Amino acid sequence: MLATVAQAVVNGLLIGGIYALVSIGVTLIFGVVKIVNFAQGEFVMIGMYISFFLATRFGIDPLVSLVVSMPVLFVVGVLLQHCLIRRVLALGDMPQIFLTFALSLLLINVALLLFTANYRTVQTPYTETAIHIGSLYVAVAKLIAFVVAMVLSGILWVFLHATDLGKAMRAAAQNRDVAMLMGINPDRVFCVAVGVALALAGAAGSLLMPFYPAYPMVGQVFVLMAFVAVVLGTLGNVTGALIASLMMGVAESLGIQFVGADSGLIVVFLMLLLTLALRPSGLFGGWTR
Amino acid sequence: MRRLPRWGGLWLGALALIVLVLPVVVSNPFAIDILIRVLLFAFIGVAWNLMGGYAKQLSLGHAAYFGLGAYTSTILLIRFGISPWIGMLAGGVVAMLASLPIGALCFRLRGPYFAIATIATAQVLMLLFLKFRDFAWGAEGTTLPNLGNSPLMMQFDAKAAYYYIALVLLAIGLAITYRIERSWMGYYLVAVGEDEDAAEAIGVNALRIKRHIYLISAFLTALAGTFYVQYIYFIDPNTAFSFNVSVEAALVSIVGGIGTLWGPVIGTVLLEATSALLQSWLGGSHGGVQLTVYSLILIAVILWRPTGLLGVLTETYARLVHVDRTRGREALLDG
Repeated sequence: MLATVAQAVVNGLLIGGIYALVSIGVTLIFGVVKIVNFAQGEFVMIGMYISFFLATRFGIDPLVSLVVSMPVLFVVGVLLQHCLIRRVLALGDMPQIFLTFALSLLLINVALLLFTANYRTVQTPYTETAIHIGSLYVAVAKLIAFVVAMVLSGILWVFLHATDLGKAMRAAAQNRDVAMLMGINPDRVFCVAVGVALALAGAAGSLLMPFYPAYPMVGQVFVLMAFVAVVLGTLGNVTGALIASLMMGVAESLGIQFVGADSGLIVVFLMLLLTLALRPSGLFGGWTR
Repeated sequence: MRRLPRWGGLWLGALALIVLVLPVVVSNPFAIDILIRVLLFAFIGVAWNLMGGYAKQLSLGHAAYFGLGAYTSTILLIRFGISPWIGMLAGGVVAMLASLPIGALCFRLRGPYFAIATIATAQVLMLLFLKFRDFAWGAEGTTLPNLGNSPLMMQFDAKAAYYYIALVLLAIGLAITYRIERSWMGYYLVAVGEDEDAAEAIGVNALRIKRHIYLISAFLTALAGTFYVQYIYFIDPNTAFSFNVSVEAALVSIVGGIGTLWGPVIGTVLLEATSALLQSWLGGSHGGVQLTVYSLILIAVILWRPTGLLGVLTETYARLVHVDRTRGREALLDG
């Protein structure tokens, strides 16, 4: 019994690391640009397809293709902010929600046209390998994904706290007008924020590829998790999103283990609704990063 | 401007006449099917628009009520032999009851997070109905018993009958919207939609008005759900709680004109016409084309015309009328 619980917790933590990359991106964009990016999951999907094609055409390991997917998606993010999001910032809720929502629909359906709905997988030498720690079974691909995800989150934390651009980003998030008076160019800061968020989504995609199939709708799984994690972890709070993502990975995994294979999502949604009922401001208070 | 209402009445009369005789003139079942879809989704759009358009509570979870309406009438029909006409109203009541706790949770959030929470509620209902194997047939769903031509059980041989039911539903939806738009409730809704805090400050009970409009919107959406399963004779959780229903309800309203009486109707006509054209050009085999085009239209509308395409139409009309008048006057002066 205890071993089963421990195994479920480990599995949940490992996939929670991927959820963290996606939800940190969502919360970063929300915190800085004040937009909820409904299309965040689709950029995970794009990251996966980039790694898939690099692996099948050029034999590049998905983990190595991280160095392609991250910069490519960073550029996509800058363009997204510059060409699309910037235009709706002064408008109300409706355009802000439905612009990224429409983008999500568009990317899913273009992917469907280009790549069909088939599941694409990549076999790596470590896809099937696992290490045993006592009675625990840890899949190597998931372990690598988790470690890299945590390293990237750590780098982001250092970037936000120790560089001028990162500090400018936090300043613009706290008070845009005052930040502008201090000489911060909000357009530039916004572009970097969306770029970094999408780069993280791209990283999530590449890290998933060794053990998770790519298909056009794959992003939906991750973005729903990310939304719940972002509410749970308090909107705009990067550390909160990270902790909440790990918690949700564990909750989902326990749900699958003890309620049934298709119950993971129910557990997660019920967590969301319970949080909204009991503590709508999230578990981690205000802007504390 | 004085003349506009009279013209408006005339247009409306002409439109009503065309819409009434349409199924008599059009006999192609494929075309009738498209027309029924237009009426149904226009009706769902109208129901969504009451809440999403006027009060700006942008729900992406209206499939919850569509599905509850569909399941309530189907369970009553198959398990208890109760007519779907009664089941339809029962479904509406179930949807209203469900909207109370859902609203209590979701109205704590604003803007995008309200939208996300409503997605979650519809998904939870779908996942639950996947689990209800004993009385709701689980994931396999069920076909509805074919009782032949029995109007009392909302089953007809003629497709035109479904057309007229959908038309009546849409007319009811539009009439309710018209009445609300012109009542104190309409002004309160718009006030809440514009600025909830300011509305509260001048004495509008925002939570109560949102709860009320949610009840009406949920009720109407559930009627559409019952109608839809009766029309396609099949139900399963993925059809009844389909995310596409939630999306299309919002989409047609936004493309047509959010918070306007005719916006959802115009939006549905435009989108369904586009979709039908695409299908006849490309055949049915190109999954993804329709939603690709829908999302491009949506992005274009948001970037260039966030108030919707209804505004473009009325402006063009006004300009034409205006140009005609000045021309007439010039002609008089010349003469």
